[in-house]
Amino acid sequence: MPLQGLFGDYQVGSFYDEMFAAPDQPRPHYAKIFEKLASMVPSQFEERRQHADLAFLLQGITFTVYSDGRGTERLFPFDLIPRIIPHSEWQRIESGLAQRVVALNLFLQDVYGKQRIFADRKIPRSLVYSCKHFLREVIGIEVPRGIHTHICGIDLIRDSKTGEYCVLEDNVRTPSGISYVLENRLVMMRTFPDAFQAYEVLPVNHYPAELSRILRSLSPRGGDDAQIVLLTPGIYNSAYFEHSFLAQQMGIELVEGRDLIVDGGIVYMKTIHGLQRVDVIYRRVDDDFLDSLTFRPDSVLGVPGLMGAYRAGNVALANAVGNGVADDKAIYAYVPAFIRYYLGEDPILRSVDTYLCSKKEDLNYVLGHLPELVVKAVGESGGYGMLMGPTADRERLEEFGRRVKADPRNYIAQPVLPLSRVPSYDPALGTIAGRHVDLRPYCLYDGEKVTIVPGGLTRVALQQGSLVVNSSQGGGSKDTWVLFGED
Amino acid sequence: MNRYHLLHATQFRYDGPVSESYNEVRLRPIHDETQSCLSFRILTDPVSRGTSYRDAFGNWVHQFNILPEHRHLKIEAESVVLAHDAPVPQFNGMKLSELEDHREELEEQFLDFVAPTGYVPHLPQLDELGEAAAKAGDGTVAGFVHATSHLIHERFRYVKGATHVNSSIQDSLSQGAGVCQDFAHIMLGVVRKRGLPARYVSGYLVPQSAASPDAKLQEVIGGYASHAWAEVYLPDSGWIGLDPTLGKPPGLQHVRIAYGRDYGDVAPVRGVYKGHAGQRLSVDVHVRPALDDDGREQLSENKTPPPEAPVITERVQQPAQQQQ
Repeated sequence: MPLQGLFGDYQVGSFYDEMFAAPDQPRPHYAKIFEKLASMVPSQFEERRQHADLAFLLQGITFTVYSDGRGTERLFPFDLIPRIIPHSEWQRIESGLAQRVVALNLFLQDVYGKQRIFADRKIPRSLVYSCKHFLREVIGIEVPRGIHTHICGIDLIRDSKTGEYCVLEDNVRTPSGISYVLENRLVMMRTFPDAFQAYEVLPVNHYPAELSRILRSLSPRGGDDAQIVLLTPGIYNSAYFEHSFLAQQMGIELVEGRDLIVDGGIVYMKTIHGLQRVDVIYRRVDDDFLDSLTFRPDSVLGVPGLMGAYRAGNVALANAVGNGVADDKAIYAYVPAFIRYYLGEDPILRSVDTYLCSKKEDLNYVLGHLPELVVKAVGESGGYGMLMGPTADRERLEEFGRRVKADPRNYIAQPVLPLSRVPSYDPALGTIAGRHVDLRPYCLYDGEKVTIVPGGLTRVALQQGSLVVNSSQGGGSKDTWVLFGED
Repeated sequence: MNRYHLLHATQFRYDGPVSESYNEVRLRPIHDETQSCLSFRILTDPVSRGTSYRDAFGNWVHQFNILPEHRHLKIEAESVVLAHDAPVPQFNGMKLSELEDHREELEEQFLDFVAPTGYVPHLPQLDELGEAAAKAGDGTVAGFVHATSHLIHERFRYVKGATHVNSSIQDSLSQGAGVCQDFAHIMLGVVRKRGLPARYVSGYLVPQSAASPDAKLQEVIGGYASHAWAEVYLPDSGWIGLDPTLGKPPGLQHVRIAYGRDYGDVAPVRGVYKGHAGQRLSVDVHVRPALDDDGREQLSENKTPPPEAPVITERVQQPAQQQQ
């Protein structure tokens, strides 16, 4: 079938195209949506797109870009063409993610506890201790039910040749984006109801209930009447919309640091009925800002004394404090080893090849191949502090080379990953074109099993040729469909 | 063996009302094979409820909070400590020149105690001290470490107020002067640059007058009571203590409270509170011989009690954050 209509200029290119196996040959699970889109004229599609944008705007679904002076909040661009994952493909992803979440949890238990892994020499102690986010203040704390990684947003990308899913980042601190997954689905169902008639798509809307169940199970006092709150840094945080959305969905209080107070190792919420004891805090405030007595003394976002209450076992925090060590990009390279060591299993999902600049031979390789590599600062996230070798000019390459040489431990490098592409609408061109995507599934861990809402957030680099999908760097998102069957 | 009764009182006075004060103190003497902490209690005024835990370095930490408005805060820590005679360390004479071969292994085992810190950056000026100490020593690692302590004692003047509680070694190195905290930090820097793990020790130096009934009351450089020194890990014999303020190894007069990478890990009192009031800090440390089982003042195993128990008081006045 020759491509036409909205697909008129479509180029499959040299990337893994998730919709097309070959230039005019849609993969079976995309066939029905392809037919639907190909039969539309651009003005029909444009009309639905505007409906979708309006729905997001009216619901105030926004985020914040810190480095942008133009204003606080911005719409997160939404692309109407869904990303579709067949059931069997999803099952493999699901089991691979669950394996990873459990191994990361065991690693965090271990490094903040008995530190067996150092004695068994599976990872250098000095590497862990040199992580910016390894918190000595957490050593020895027994967290409720032994859970550190309650919520993980693990980023996956697909191999450019085989389409195999690989893990890019683990994000076990305070991953955001789940609210877009839920809202994208609602908006999609409203603007494209006919597309859902052709497919059996697994639902995602049980996420808040599942998260709420896990949070409740952490209550140190037990019982069903646990007081759970969501602690937000406040309205200027990039994910404030999500904080208020999740609190509302779960029916829990949305609080800021000043709404809580610690007395004698117990956390209370200030209410018009007096102080009420708090059992569980879903905190979206970073470790550094959580408790001015223990961490940054200048922080006004947290609750002084909170770590004392946490250490005494009087309050549960999700996620656990100190998880950042597992997000360190140098530690990432050891996750397959963690899976083998703690679980005695082979990793189901591949990791991306990673050069640790702290190793001399890796450093030499990286310095010699900067234009081919992506270089990342180990302690950063969200696409900040990163060099894209192929698109950087000479000046920037040299500057980054100096930075890496001055502080090798602080950098890792990976080959440039030609992310897979999914057809996406380009409003400037008025047609559909291939755009690079990644996938962030949200994993919930209750200490026994890992629950993952089918799919996750597909982030898409909407600018032509761009490989950076971060919302802070101009990315958008798509609804992600996991099918009940194969097509 | 000596037995001491220690009373450490920290007092903050605020110009105006403050509230929601949260504090964390490291005041409980270490209890191990060379020092027994026989009793410890802590009182605050205004009164508070507290919790305690052991930090990553094994130190006892007490946390408490005071929510209502108050204009002063007094923290009184009282302890009875038995200082044992330390066994004489045995060295097998590892050569300083062999040390470099152990660098990686020591870093792997003790990264926290070899890495630079905020107070102890690995400044180039430290190398000159290190080389001089290497020459002055007998070529062994132990000799180098002792020579470093001597050298700091000889080269630096003890001047109160030359530096402040937040000074890094930069200030002291450029002035050639400082207090025990600075000398301990410099000691850490010199030996860490050679790859030796070293830790900061906070504690008390019991004045001669209290430590021995016969000695005359004399000032001891380093202050009457609150003191700081260093311990260095020698691959051939383990941790050994060094007091660069006195230029000799610590003995029965030294009472250890806490270990850390630098002063930042062991600050005796640290806190945050609400309120815009300025504050003044005063610290009193009293040391006297502890009472024996019959209720008499007792210094050592010596059965004759001293005629009168000397009470040594130190008072310092300095503006500070709520950190001592």
